[in-house]
Amino acid sequence: MRIGEIIETTSSGFVAESFELNRPPALGSLVLVRLPDETALYGAVTYGQTAGVDPSRRAVRRSTDVVFDGAIYEQHPELEHILRTEFGVALVGFVAAGRLRHHLPARPPPLHFSVQGVSREEVCYFTDGLLYFRLLLIPYGDVPPQQVLAANVRWVYEQRGHDDIWLDTAAREIATLLKNDSAALLTVLYAIDPGDVPMLREQGGVA
Amino acid sequence: MSENRLGVVVDGTFNGGLTVRLEPGVSSEQLRIGNFVVVEGQRNRYFSLIADIQLKAADIRLLADPPRDNSPFVARALAGTSTYATAEVKPMLMLEKVSLPQTGVLDKSTLDALFAEGSGPQPVRTIPMHFAELREATELDFATVFGQEGGTNFAMGTPLAMDIPICLRLDRFVERSNGVFGQSGTGKSFLARLVISGIIKTRVAVNLIFDMHDEYSFDKQTEDGRFVKGLRQIFGSQVLIYSLDEEMGRRSGRNVDVTLKIGLNQIEEADIVLLSEELNLRQTAEATIGLLRDAFRERWLLRLLEMTPEELEAFSATSGAHPASVASLQRNLKRLQRQGYIEREQDFSALDDLVQALDRGKHVILQFGRYNSVLDYVLVSNLVTRRVRQRYEERTRRYEETQAASDKPRPLIITIEEAHKFLNPAVARQTTFGIIAREMRKYNVTLLVIDQRPSSIDPEVMSQLGTRVSGKLTEERDIEAVLTGVGNRSALRGALESLDTRQQILIMGHAVPMPIMMRTRPYDEEFYRAMGPQVPGGGVMDLRDLFEEQ
Repeated sequence: MRIGEIIETTSSGFVAESFELNRPPALGSLVLVRLPDETALYGAVTYGQTAGVDPSRRAVRRSTDVVFDGAIYEQHPELEHILRTEFGVALVGFVAAGRLRHHLPARPPPLHFSVQGVSREEVCYFTDGLLYFRLLLIPYGDVPPQQVLAANVRWVYEQRGHDDIWLDTAAREIATLLKNDSAALLTVLYAIDPGDVPMLREQGGVA
Repeated sequence: MSENRLGVVVDGTFNGGLTVRLEPGVSSEQLRIGNFVVVEGQRNRYFSLIADIQLKAADIRLLADPPRDNSPFVARALAGTSTYATAEVKPMLMLEKVSLPQTGVLDKSTLDALFAEGSGPQPVRTIPMHFAELREATELDFATVFGQEGGTNFAMGTPLAMDIPICLRLDRFVERSNGVFGQSGTGKSFLARLVISGIIKTRVAVNLIFDMHDEYSFDKQTEDGRFVKGLRQIFGSQVLIYSLDEEMGRRSGRNVDVTLKIGLNQIEEADIVLLSEELNLRQTAEATIGLLRDAFRERWLLRLLEMTPEELEAFSATSGAHPASVASLQRNLKRLQRQGYIEREQDFSALDDLVQALDRGKHVILQFGRYNSVLDYVLVSNLVTRRVRQRYEERTRRYEETQAASDKPRPLIITIEEAHKFLNPAVARQTTFGIIAREMRKYNVTLLVIDQRPSSIDPEVMSQLGTRVSGKLTEERDIEAVLTGVGNRSALRGALESLDTRQQILIMGHAVPMPIMMRTRPYDEEFYRAMGPQVPGGGVMDLRDLFEEQ
């Protein structure tokens, strides 16, 4: 399913314009760019942003006492044309010649190519290995990489149907990667702690 | 990667040992100080002991600010990654890998071949590189290092968490004096009985046991209320019972072979000096005895005890001794005369018979019966041992002359309890035991010292002990004393402190390739049976033989 189009591209990631205004893909979610040579580039969403098409003109207030939130867009249909939503994607791996690789592809994806959502099967396939966490920890955009990583882990956990074993493995991988920065590590761990898993509650939980 | 992998080597020095980073899945609670583990190097296999375990954190800031809520999820993620444990591992022996059988199957011929080539475990000369694997020891490892039961290898017990025998090399054991230590209640006399049983069974030496509390000959109630068999009941007529107490022989089923008497003429100056404390002797006593000896030779004690006050005066006047000193010496030594086993005069035939019995391969237990005070024990043990040692010295000299195999004296092990009474620094230089402990096996006589306060024993004697068998010790000084002259003391100190009070021991020294903690073999029916077949006729038959003899 196509969800956007690449409007800026580099070796480490790309920026795409979302087909839906104000609805970029979820932070941390995986997206896919398919190339003609059967290569599929995987990326993780690192930020989303909505602003005016013309960078020289800032958005102004449109709401009144009775017209606000969603109603504004109904009153001002032209907003669909003067605003746009874009999202940043960090490249985290690719599949080429049937092999999954968790490192950067040789070339950035071509401009104007489509960005697609990823199916559950593809999520499972891609996240069975966790080496791509290392790429996610490189900052891309303004969002701190720990938050992107945590968002990705939460999203994958949901997509994998609350796979607790995967989550534990991921947590340990993160603990290994961030072992020298306990503040960053705990930030991520607190953010991905499911907390309400029955098994965990039996073990004691919060004192 | 093997199943029982514990971690990988990440640091180390040859002198200080190796640091092993434990696997994330391995809890520090799984390892115990003193455990026998194996490091798999590229070319060598290192048989090692765990000396210390440390908890570490990759980022020390985490220690200053540990995760606040007790989230098990966070704790699980951190365990073994950001927070981890390392073990200090000390290699004790190494074995070149080429010589190891490839298959896990162990048969005697492979092992024999291994040791015959001299390619068995060697002292450590190298250390492994980074990331060598640390793993739990397998049965094959234990068998490679400690050998298999049989011959002079005697199973002392099993590893703490495994069920295969750990063997003591008794042929090496009897080459030196040895010690059995442990605080009260750790089963020292059981341990001694175990070792002595092994010596009797394998016939590597004969035993002379000074049995202060009548524990070795016949059945004895243990602290948990069971009755366990004595050596006479297990080994029958191979064991002769001597007793000081004629009443001991009157108990049914507990016949005593010989009732021993000591003559006043047999008591020497050295015996008395050893008893200074028990007899309340003054410091002048030694000089006074010297004068008495000059005047009366070996009958000095007899004469002293029989002197009338007038004779005392006369002796003092002629010899220059202080009259009061002589009188007080006489008063104090009269206590000896009152002991039931003391006769006026005795020749040495009984003691020489004893030596001959030892020479025929019999084992002798000297029971003290009701004469079980320190005075009796020290006096008689020292006196008997002196005679035995003289005889052994003569025999050894003759053997050196003739070099005939028939003249070769059998190695003798003398077992003494409360060893610090004979071997404390103040007297160790004078007692026969002190001499034996220091000169080692020159005359084929060695000691098995049993004591609960090894710190009271002369350090020089301690350092001469070949093999030390120790139960739990907690007193710092005692632990130091037991470890005198042993390498890797820190690992062993931890091990000694952590032993259970029952059935767990640490053996180190000459008779084992490396120090090892073990659970001692139970002293039960199965043990009696294991000891039995070696005895001609078996234990029960032997008892019957004895009755017929009488």
